[in-house]
Amino acid sequence: METNFSKIKATSKLLSSKQMSCEELTKQYLASIEKENKVLNAYVKVTEEQALATAKKVDEKIMRGESLLPLEGIPMSLKDNISTKDIETTCCSKILQGYTPIYNATVWDLLQNQNAVLLGKTNMDEFAMGSSSETSCFGGSFNPHNPNHVAGGSSGGAASSVSGNIAVFGLGSDTGGSIRQPASFCGVVGLKPTYGTVSRYGLIAYASSFDQIGPITTSVEDAALVFDAIAQHDPMDSTSQGKKESAAASLSKEIKGMKIGIVKEYFEGIDGDVRTAMEKSIETYRQLGAEIVECSIPEIKYGLPVYYILACAEASSNLGRYDGIRYGYKVPHYEDINEMICKTRSEGFGAEVKHRILLGTYVLSAGYYDAYYKKAQNLRGVIVNAFKRVFEACDVILAPTVPMTSFERGQTQKDAVQTYQTDICTVPVNIAGLPAVSVPCGFDSKGLPIGLQLIGNNFCESTILNAAYQFEAATRENGAFKAVEMGVAL
Amino acid sequence: MVTREDVLQMARLSKLYIKEEELDALTKDMDKIIAFAETISAAQCEQTNFDNINNLSNVLREDVVVPSYDREEILKNAESQDEGYFLVKRRS
Repeated sequence: METNFSKIKATSKLLSSKQMSCEELTKQYLASIEKENKVLNAYVKVTEEQALATAKKVDEKIMRGESLLPLEGIPMSLKDNISTKDIETTCCSKILQGYTPIYNATVWDLLQNQNAVLLGKTNMDEFAMGSSSETSCFGGSFNPHNPNHVAGGSSGGAASSVSGNIAVFGLGSDTGGSIRQPASFCGVVGLKPTYGTVSRYGLIAYASSFDQIGPITTSVEDAALVFDAIAQHDPMDSTSQGKKESAAASLSKEIKGMKIGIVKEYFEGIDGDVRTAMEKSIETYRQLGAEIVECSIPEIKYGLPVYYILACAEASSNLGRYDGIRYGYKVPHYEDINEMICKTRSEGFGAEVKHRILLGTYVLSAGYYDAYYKKAQNLRGVIVNAFKRVFEACDVILAPTVPMTSFERGQTQKDAVQTYQTDICTVPVNIAGLPAVSVPCGFDSKGLPIGLQLIGNNFCESTILNAAYQFEAATRENGAFKAVEMGVAL
Repeated sequence: MVTREDVLQMARLSKLYIKEEELDALTKDMDKIIAFAETISAAQCEQTNFDNINNLSNVLREDVVVPSYDREEILKNAESQDEGYFLVKRRS
């Protein structure tokens, strides 16, 4: 299909046809980062030396006339919670400043094997806890569509780097929406794969039963290409299962007769430009021959508390390892070991991380465990079953990614509970371990992007990516929306 | 209702110090967050015995001996070390 666009394929063609060397391309990106990052704060570390060394290897391969692997020579970014051997990895937390892992995350090994060009590590909310990247110890990451607005979070830097054209693609992580929400805010594609498709080995843990790594890209085809490269079974992660089939090979299948579910609870309280964009998107699918099926998941109303109880419980346990002894920040003055650990943690963690550790400790403590943790865990099963029922009646669920568009800087730290509400459409997917993709579907009246979320059954990335691909083909040409009416794509 | 004492107890369990001047604001925040978490108490639902996503159990592998990391490498991120060990102050 000619109407879609793949920046990865275009870049690869540029290299293999020798219109530009990989070194020239990499230097161009590094120069853009130098300029744009002052505004976007997308990167917290630029890995120039590493990038140029890889570029040289790729150029030598091209000179020898060898063909390139799909991601070979492509300039990209990694979220700063993905371990990179000998390259500082901080989770944007003071407690990990100066920490250089001694091993690679499996996803980075897989990309490095393809000679993908790492430009740097991207900004994020501290330990991936937040919705704006503003809890980062390096300050927030901002939106290329309007730098007075946030890039979203927690993978804000990754989305900003791709949207701002200072990376061809980026890897982020999604625990409660952290890939899809910033992708929606920045007008790019973000895929949260099924729990277990992509190895979590080397991903610094926030909430292990929710965390999943995935791509942020400019187009659906690019998301499929990166997904295919990273979704592989890994013996180092006992929950890893790999993918069922190639996603890139499944694109451009007709979607006539595809059953698209509209779960009414996802649309409660959604109004204004986001609602209009959703209605237009549903109409686009109708025109493509899809069958729209109305359904309901009343249990979704428990999604947010269930998510925050379970994720914080897991976080309080996972973050117990930061004690200043083996790596990371350590206070210089203390009386005894207990004071050393307490002072290190108190100075090393930011406010939001402390909040979540305290909440997690509360719900796991004697006297509260049954009422909160155990009840939430049971409700998790209820939500899993509810999605199973809905997927008996439809192939894909369509919903907004976020009820709103990107907010202005400094808005998210005022009220924790209100901030958590922005995750209302994204967390149910993580609770049920399902795959979901956010794809741009238009703009609001202020010119800020709106994202459309497509949710699939377990291990059905191909289905949602193909549905997203058809939508992209119907609404956009070479990346731009074909027609815009009242600020919303037709 | 979350009290100042609750917050201090959680902080003690989490090995975090809370400054006296931050305690009231933090107690208020925690109370709001717990009230929000509390909303699940009204849920009437079937017993699901949820265990894990994808229902995996006993994921085993062959017990193969492989080289591990170099001790010096592991120690390089530690602030204090001595003769191949992490160094911590003796418990008083």
